[in-house]
Formats: sequence, structure tokens, C-alpha cells
Amino acid sequence: MNAFWWTYGHLGWGFFALSVFTAIWWLFFDLCWRLLAIRIGRLLALMAVGWVIGIGCILFGFYLAGW
Amino acid sequence: MFLLIIQLIILSVLAGALTLWGCYFPYPSPLIRWGLPPNKRWPEAQIRHWLEMGGFQQAFLNYFYRDPERAPPPGNSILAPADGLVTSAALRDGVRYLVIALSFWDMHVQRSPVSGTVIKVESKGKDFMDGEGREFAFLREKYCPVQKRVVFSSDSGEIAVRLITSLAARRIEIWVKDGETVTRGQRIGRILLGSTVVLELPETLNLSALVGEHVKAGETVVVEEMSSA
Repeated sequence: MNAFWWTYGHLGWGFFALSVFTAIWWLFFDLCWRLLAIRIGRLLALMAVGWVIGIGCILFGFYLAGW
Repeated sequence: MFLLIIQLIILSVLAGALTLWGCYFPYPSPLIRWGLPPNKRWPEAQIRHWLEMGGFQQAFLNYFYRDPERAPPPGNSILAPADGLVTSAALRDGVRYLVIALSFWDMHVQRSPVSGTVIKVESKGKDFMDGEGREFAFLREKYCPVQKRVVFSSDSGEIAVRLITSLAARRIEIWVKDGETVTRGQRIGRILLGSTVVLELPETLNLSALVGEHVKAGETVVVEEMSSA
């Protein structure tokens, strides 16, 4: 699992992907909040589900790659 | 090492974006502001905050002071004098008051509704409405507004445009003079951060504009074409 955080002189791709995805997802949430006429509670729930799915996919991909 | 540098650059860019987001929250970050519609780009709460502080973002002022060309429809119909939402069309003492409410994002240059001659330009301060019509519906929520009133003589009779603003903003520019001949759709003035324009019409004219309609200065017909007197 060390390769998740650090590998061969650079950040592990798992940690890197999680960071990038989380930051972009946060900014995307802000954009949706401003543009969509939707209750904040519902939007928060949707975005949280989306984030969990995204993170799950990254972790699953990392697991499949066997890094 | 090269990969590490690339990764750190990407993470730094994202960290910068998040920092900007945090600095500007709850208002939009400059990174996304350009892509938002005007009322989301500069939310009302932010504009009211600027009003209190007396300072505005230059990009908002540039947007606010826009003065696009307008193409009046042919004929002699009466046009809306301002961009905004028609909030009432009350009849009182033989005069129809068509009230147009301007939002912060509406274009604020006013245009002549008719071709004719400017009879007079009344320019009064906060006492203008005292004893005259403070009870008018369009003024109920406005405390001592500052007004200018431009009266036109036209084929349709005497028609006036009131430009009303609040004591906080209290700046109205009028670009026409007494006796000047104007054409339909000609620019007549501008309210700076103002809020209401009222078109006063003879009651004999039939309005085509509806309450709740969004009208455009110099383009939207508010009274259909009539035969010349």
C-alpha cells in the first residue's frame, strides 16, 4: 500500500488521483450550487454520493492495478 | 523527479483555485465568474454590500454602465422607456402609471417612448413627492425617492417619464433639455444604481404591456400603434 502514497520518487498515483478528484469535485459542487435551482440539502447529498462513487472508483482501480 | 514536479504543479494550481474559492466565498471566485450569468456573477447581496461600502468591482461597473444600441420598431407605437419588469399599470386621476422596476442587472439607460418635443424636465429631490402622491403604489416601499420627470408632447398627447432612485443612490442624469425634439427610442438619461422608471400615459391609450412582462427600452411596444391625431 506504500505505493499509494509514494512511489519511485514521486507522489503515489492513488493519493494524487484522490487529491485532484476531491479538489475538482469541490469546485464543481460550487459551480452547481450557483447555477442550479436545487435545494442545498439535496445538492449536498447528490455531490456526496458522487464523491463517494468517484473515490470508490479510484480506490478500486488502484486495487485492480495492484500498485 | 520530473513526475513529482508535474504533480506538485497540478496540486499547487488546484490549491490556488481552492484558496481563491475560500477568499471570495460566498461570492463566486474569479475563476468561474466570467462564465456565470450576470445575476449569479454579481449576486444581489454582494451589490448591496458594495452599496453600503461605497465601492464597486470595476467589472460590475463596466457591465452596469453598458449602453447597447436598440432598434425601435417602425410606426408610432409607444415604447418602453426602460429595461425592467412591469410591476403595475395603475390608473389614477386620468393618468395610467406604467411602473417598470429595474434590477441591478438591467441596462440603466432610459429612452424616449415617443417622438415629440420635451416640454419640461422637472428635477426634484427628496421632497418631490410630498403631498403629491406618496401613496402611489409604486412608491409605497420607497422612502422619499429622488426623481426626475421628463414630459413629452407627442401625437398621443402629453406623456411623461419619471426616473426614480433612492436616497442612497440619488444620481440621475438627464440628457435632453426643454424644447428639444426627440425621436422614439432616443436616449434621454440614465439612473445610476437606480430602481424605478414610471411611464405616465393618458388613460385613453390601451396598454399592450402586461404586468409581469420584462420590457426593453426603445424596443418593447407598450401601447400599440395608433392613427395620428
